Amino acid sequence: MDKKKSNRFINFITNPKYLMVLATIGIFLAIYIFGAVVYGNKGFTKLRTFAMLFVDNAYIGISAVGMTMVLITGGIDLSVAAVASLTGMFIAYGTTILNIHPFVCMAFAIVVAIALGLAMGAMVTYLKIPPFVATLTGMFLARGVCSLISRDSISIDNDLIDKLAGWKIYFMKLNDAGEWVKIKPVAYINLNVVMFIVMILIGTYILQKTRFGRNVYAVGGNEQSARLMGLPVDRTKMMVYGFNGLCSALAGIAYSLYVKSGWNLALQGGELDVISAAVIGGVLLSGGVGYMVGTFFGVLLKAVIPALITFNGTLSSWWGKIITGALVLLFVALQQIVMTSSGRKKKGPKKKET
Amino acid sequence: MKSKESIFKSKLTWAVIAELLILVIAGILEPSFFKIEYNQTTGMLYGSIIDIINRSAEITIIAMGMTMVIALGGTDISVGALVAVAGAFALKFLRWDVTVYPTPGDYTVYPFILVIVVPLIICTLMGLFNGVLIGKFKLQPIIATLILMVAGRGIAQIATNGKQFTTGYTPFRFIGQGSMLGLPFPIIITIVVCAVVMIFVRKTAFGTFVESVGINPNASRVTGLKSDKIIMIVYTLTGFLSGIAGLIYSSRISSCDSNNAGLNYEMDAILAVVLGGTSMTGGKFSLTGTIVGSIIIRTITTLVYYFGITSESIMAFKAAIILVVIVIQSEPVGKWLATRNARKQKAGELHG
Repeated sequence: MDKKKSNRFINFITNPKYLMVLATIGIFLAIYIFGAVVYGNKGFTKLRTFAMLFVDNAYIGISAVGMTMVLITGGIDLSVAAVASLTGMFIAYGTTILNIHPFVCMAFAIVVAIALGLAMGAMVTYLKIPPFVATLTGMFLARGVCSLISRDSISIDNDLIDKLAGWKIYFMKLNDAGEWVKIKPVAYINLNVVMFIVMILIGTYILQKTRFGRNVYAVGGNEQSARLMGLPVDRTKMMVYGFNGLCSALAGIAYSLYVKSGWNLALQGGELDVISAAVIGGVLLSGGVGYMVGTFFGVLLKAVIPALITFNGTLSSWWGKIITGALVLLFVALQQIVMTSSGRKKKGPKKKET
Repeated sequence: MKSKESIFKSKLTWAVIAELLILVIAGILEPSFFKIEYNQTTGMLYGSIIDIINRSAEITIIAMGMTMVIALGGTDISVGALVAVAGAFALKFLRWDVTVYPTPGDYTVYPFILVIVVPLIICTLMGLFNGVLIGKFKLQPIIATLILMVAGRGIAQIATNGKQFTTGYTPFRFIGQGSMLGLPFPIIITIVVCAVVMIFVRKTAFGTFVESVGINPNASRVTGLKSDKIIMIVYTLTGFLSGIAGLIYSSRISSCDSNNAGLNYEMDAILAVVLGGTSMTGGKFSLTGTIVGSIIIRTITTLVYYFGITSESIMAFKAAIILVVIVIQSEPVGKWLATRNARKQKAGELHG
């Protein structure tokens, strides 16, 4: 009985499906513990540091939810950062210059983003244009429209936006007198973090518990077989790009709450942050494999590196980029090893090439 | 085979027609657009046309390599970062003793040859790194080159300690700002690079190998082609060419800017290749088409500047152009056009 249990545990760990996610969590914990040991006296272990990892990277995480799905279908979306920037621009221009209610601006931005996502999805699905090129066009278009609206950064001046951005949940503790007080140093999470966590939960639910989620995995695993099985491949792909548009818009809303301004060049290169977060989280770029939990830890892992560099104080912040690059390399190498070894084990014709 | 040839030919013709059309529009809107003047004192030709070709040098050079990368069915998104790396290392070796000369001027610490060769070697090695990952380890091109795209700018920043160095060293400035035979020197470099690449690709079997691997890597391997070696050579070459482009860029601005040097170059280079009629799905490629594509991009950019439209909104124009081109190139539309042509031909035969 005991042996059976341990066998099951070993099987769980060595299952290539979960191995990548476990590796991400393991490396995150290793880096976090390393930081805690080395910079513990500087306050690295404080709850505030941990909460700030979420606060500073929530918008990347929100976008990564949609990106994970796109990558699982075997596609890629380069337009996310540009669409997020466009959303920020809509909100900034609408509320501050045109005096429109912020929620109307947000709704408009979401509609535009979903429409753009669906349009790119249609190009990929029906015109058979490689996702890379189709979404590159979307990226250029979004950035161009952004610049047509305004070339300068517009800072948002709106009470409701201020209120939303200032909304915080503080971590409290009971003091000796039995009252709830804020812990020191002050740690909090804001609306963006709530959005991030909710989106991760929604993403997990969609991928694991719905028919649509199953279709996403099937399409990514092998589009041809999915089609032969009678699954709605085209509709699934369209919906994935549409959902990613929604996530980009939400990321844009989170970003504009975070910086309280709209700028046409905001988040330049952000799409690569999002993609590398998903890749570090164990999502396979050739499609078919990936979990929201992995992406969640991928975002955290990408966030903890700059935090460590800040705590170090002497290293140039540019090391963050190099370490991220090295991590991506590590993970794709790991993916390659895991995939080839599992393919060899089965000896079947399961090995797929895309 | 013959019909394929004619389609391929017509793609290049379309590109040329598009370029001419844009130039005609420019000429109508602004007659002085075509004026070329000879400046006696500098011994250089001036004019919008010269400027367009001059400024398109970096993209043209990178796109030469990118054409073959795309013909192999891949993409290289690290080229922009490599441009920054080349500039950063060149300027690193052009440092001088600030205590002796407080202002930038005509001096260098290391010999000039080192300033040129070291950045090129570094970029070539980075290209090789991409090539090994893609050719040997069979990683997806996008993700393999993503690594250097992210890390490359970091390396460039660390090489220069995050500072923007400037230089006044004349031989270095000559690369981007000098002139030879009345033409700006970047044009000369571009002509030489294009000629060498084209001779290498078309006068040897290499170009055919690339096309073969791009169409079907497995079949090529079975016929005895060393696919992985060909992939490695192509990515290494692209790295080297990005290095040359980086030297030209940093020489133009006499400094290095690790944040903005080569920004979005990968997108422009891919666009140039696609405009030139090479399909993103790999296979046949056209280097001449790529040169025309690169010039088209620069013409549009120059026009947009010329007529005072904000520079950032160029993106929207580019998006519109790519949209048209890729829709025409896309498989279903291509099939539709092919069947229509076939029907027309049939009808012609019947009537003729």
